Amino acid sequence: MIGRRTKFHFVMCFALLCCVGSIATNAWAQNGGDLRFCVRSEPKTFDPLLVDDDSSLSIRYLTGGVLARVNRHTQELEPELAESWKVSPDSKQITFKLRHGVHFSDGTPFAADDVAFTVQRLMDPALHSNTGDAFRSGSGAVTTKVIAPDQIAITFPAPVVGLDRMFDEVAIMSAHSAKKEGAVLGPFMVAEYKPGSSVRLERNPYYWKKDAQGRRLPYLDSIHIDIQGNRDVEMLRFKRGEIDLINVIDTDYFDRLASSSPQLVHDAGPSLDSDFMWFNEVGNAPIPEYKRAWFGSVNFRRAISEAINRDDLARIVYNGHAQPAVGPISPANKFWFNSHLKAEAHNPQGALERLKADGFHMQNGTLVDKSGNQVEFSIVTNAGSKARERMSVLIQEDLGKIGIKVNLVPLDFPSLIERITHTFNYEAAMLGFRNIDLDPNGQMNIWLSSASNHAWNPEQKSPATAWEAEIDKLMREQASTADLKKRKQAFDRVQEIVYEQAPLIYLINQNALSAVSTSVAGASPGILYPQTFWNAERLTLNGTTTAKR
Amino acid sequence: MLGRIARHIASIAALVLIGGLLSATLVRMAPGFDSDERELDPSLNAESVHALRAEHAGENNILAFYSAYLRGAMHGELGVSHSLGQPVSRLLGERWPVTVRVAGIGLLLGWVAAALLAFVGCLWQRPLYHIFGGALSGAFLCIPAAVLALASVILNAPGYLAIAFIVFPKIYRYSRNLLGKSYALPHITAARARGVGEMRILICHVLPIAGPQLIALAGITVSLALGASIPVESLCGLPGIGQLAWQAALSRDLPLLVNLTVLVTLVTLLANSGADVMICMTRPRQG
Repeated sequence: MIGRRTKFHFVMCFALLCCVGSIATNAWAQNGGDLRFCVRSEPKTFDPLLVDDDSSLSIRYLTGGVLARVNRHTQELEPELAESWKVSPDSKQITFKLRHGVHFSDGTPFAADDVAFTVQRLMDPALHSNTGDAFRSGSGAVTTKVIAPDQIAITFPAPVVGLDRMFDEVAIMSAHSAKKEGAVLGPFMVAEYKPGSSVRLERNPYYWKKDAQGRRLPYLDSIHIDIQGNRDVEMLRFKRGEIDLINVIDTDYFDRLASSSPQLVHDAGPSLDSDFMWFNEVGNAPIPEYKRAWFGSVNFRRAISEAINRDDLARIVYNGHAQPAVGPISPANKFWFNSHLKAEAHNPQGALERLKADGFHMQNGTLVDKSGNQVEFSIVTNAGSKARERMSVLIQEDLGKIGIKVNLVPLDFPSLIERITHTFNYEAAMLGFRNIDLDPNGQMNIWLSSASNHAWNPEQKSPATAWEAEIDKLMREQASTADLKKRKQAFDRVQEIVYEQAPLIYLINQNALSAVSTSVAGASPGILYPQTFWNAERLTLNGTTTAKR
Repeated sequence: MLGRIARHIASIAALVLIGGLLSATLVRMAPGFDSDERELDPSLNAESVHALRAEHAGENNILAFYSAYLRGAMHGELGVSHSLGQPVSRLLGERWPVTVRVAGIGLLLGWVAAALLAFVGCLWQRPLYHIFGGALSGAFLCIPAAVLALASVILNAPGYLAIAFIVFPKIYRYSRNLLGKSYALPHITAARARGVGEMRILICHVLPIAGPQLIALAGITVSLALGASIPVESLCGLPGIGQLAWQAALSRDLPLLVNLTVLVTLVTLLANSGADVMICMTRPRQG
């Protein structure tokens, strides 16, 4: 017989055990665990200044310490290794006040000469770093002046707009460590690299950041990044619980997963990425003269733009996880988007009216130009992109309704690049733009008529049209002033010109879709790269997952 | 004898060199050879884009590239991969063991399964068994290698199983026909009539006839397994030579593709030469 008192003691002991268990589980969740996810290709480099592929970018984000970081949620710039900074009124100089007591992952102390070393290396023209090129607004050397161990001034030969925000991508390297890029200031460091297979990151024991309770971040012990190019396999592994997140998930997979486990998928709304098409307007391109005349006509381009049903593209191709695109800036880019512009409405009748103005007319259900040439062109796009291939088919149908015959030519990526950048042997092309930079200055090499990425007619000696000359002027204007209001005005006008002239016909902005396992706590998927693990230092895994692994 | 060996080695060397040159020429002529996806990066300025283009300029003249490659190879320098930015010798050194293991185990399993099925079929002459063997090998012959690789991913099975299933039907069909023909020879029928045991017939009478051709088949299946390792390693995420070859082909990585061609040609020729040597050794001597 158990007495009342004994019973009470039993209950109390049980309650105490539960409390201890709960605290232990919580502590476990806050400390430790191996987060797993996949990247789709081999990282090409671990040198943070030479990153130009997604996999290396992910590793740099997780291992690199930066002076200031764009908060992926608020899009605001926040101090990191720099406590504060000051940009000179002429946007040529930035002075950083650095954080004290920070060490690299190998224990060497962080100081202003590390920043000087990084900047000098970054701006070395022989390095051909895309991060460095973004800072290059004029010819001449970049100088660094170490004012004190915790203070440095960096001077550029010409104004650099959005100067402070650009340091979001500059991972500081150690000037003294023998480990070179192996010594990092970010929350994790590369512990093991199995070529073709995986990269294992371990927590940086010297990471400077602490949480509100004073506990050193990151919570996770390690991150295991598998190299897996096949999206089907990635999805399968996610379903099996072998990986914890998928940073960017395709619409089909998203919907399949949403139907069975809606709690795992996240649609963060329109991303900065866009899909667009354009016509070849290169002067010496190997295309018939009459087609060059069509493609050079604003009426023709606008008619094509009007004839395309963007709502259908978003609804059918992306199952509603996309928005009709307006122009070069996605509505997700809160500050720089020109909100006065609206996506081109689907209007086949209006398209025909525009074409009539240029002498096009219908003949037995087929559109012909004023010389009697049947309107027919081909669209090249990259094979293997299901979404783009489907969009091409829908565009083919839409244009077929106004008598235009479209031939679809999916090409593998190297062949496509060769055609659009070297031989110019194409009529129209469809591609996507993955934008990780909020500032439009990052698009300078697209909009300047002399630039190699001026897709429809690159590397012009002088602007071929008046509106391209105006865009050149506006882009240079916005790049030469630190006045945000003036910059915004200039780039708003650029967006208007692009809308009116349609050199690039913007189609859709796809939504930022991701999948995160319920075992991951603290994830808040956003629209900016890296969507799911931008706050990796504060992510935790629940105890069951940690124990299982 | 030494003269024959020297001639054989010379012919292998010549074939390897020709194979490498053909591979280099094909890659050079492939569309998209001198393009680089980094050219589409809007943050790169004109100088960097021109520097990227200049990287490929040295490869435009294929004879100049190939002679420079051969000069480097003589000193152990195999060049640097464009797509992965690493020395080719390092890449091959890291990836080769994976392929040897995956293709090796797959080949062994394929051979064991096919040979067992074929031997049992010959010993146990039942029409139903032949239909079963034919249907099984026919089914695997019809399924594309990539589908078998994908199935192994879905079923969480090791990649070497996919290779085993890819090589199995080819080995089975050939060895079954070979053994069947050997068993049909009059002296074997006579031996059976005299009550000689099946195992003795197999070892003493059938294998000496079919053996040399089976060894030759073994040499050929090495190249079959290497070919199968491309889809299998790519889909199963196995970091071997096959996966490397796929990546190199997609990115038109000339130095890597030339080295891979040379390596695969060399392995195939050595496997076939090994088979030839074994055939010579097992052939009954006359006189």
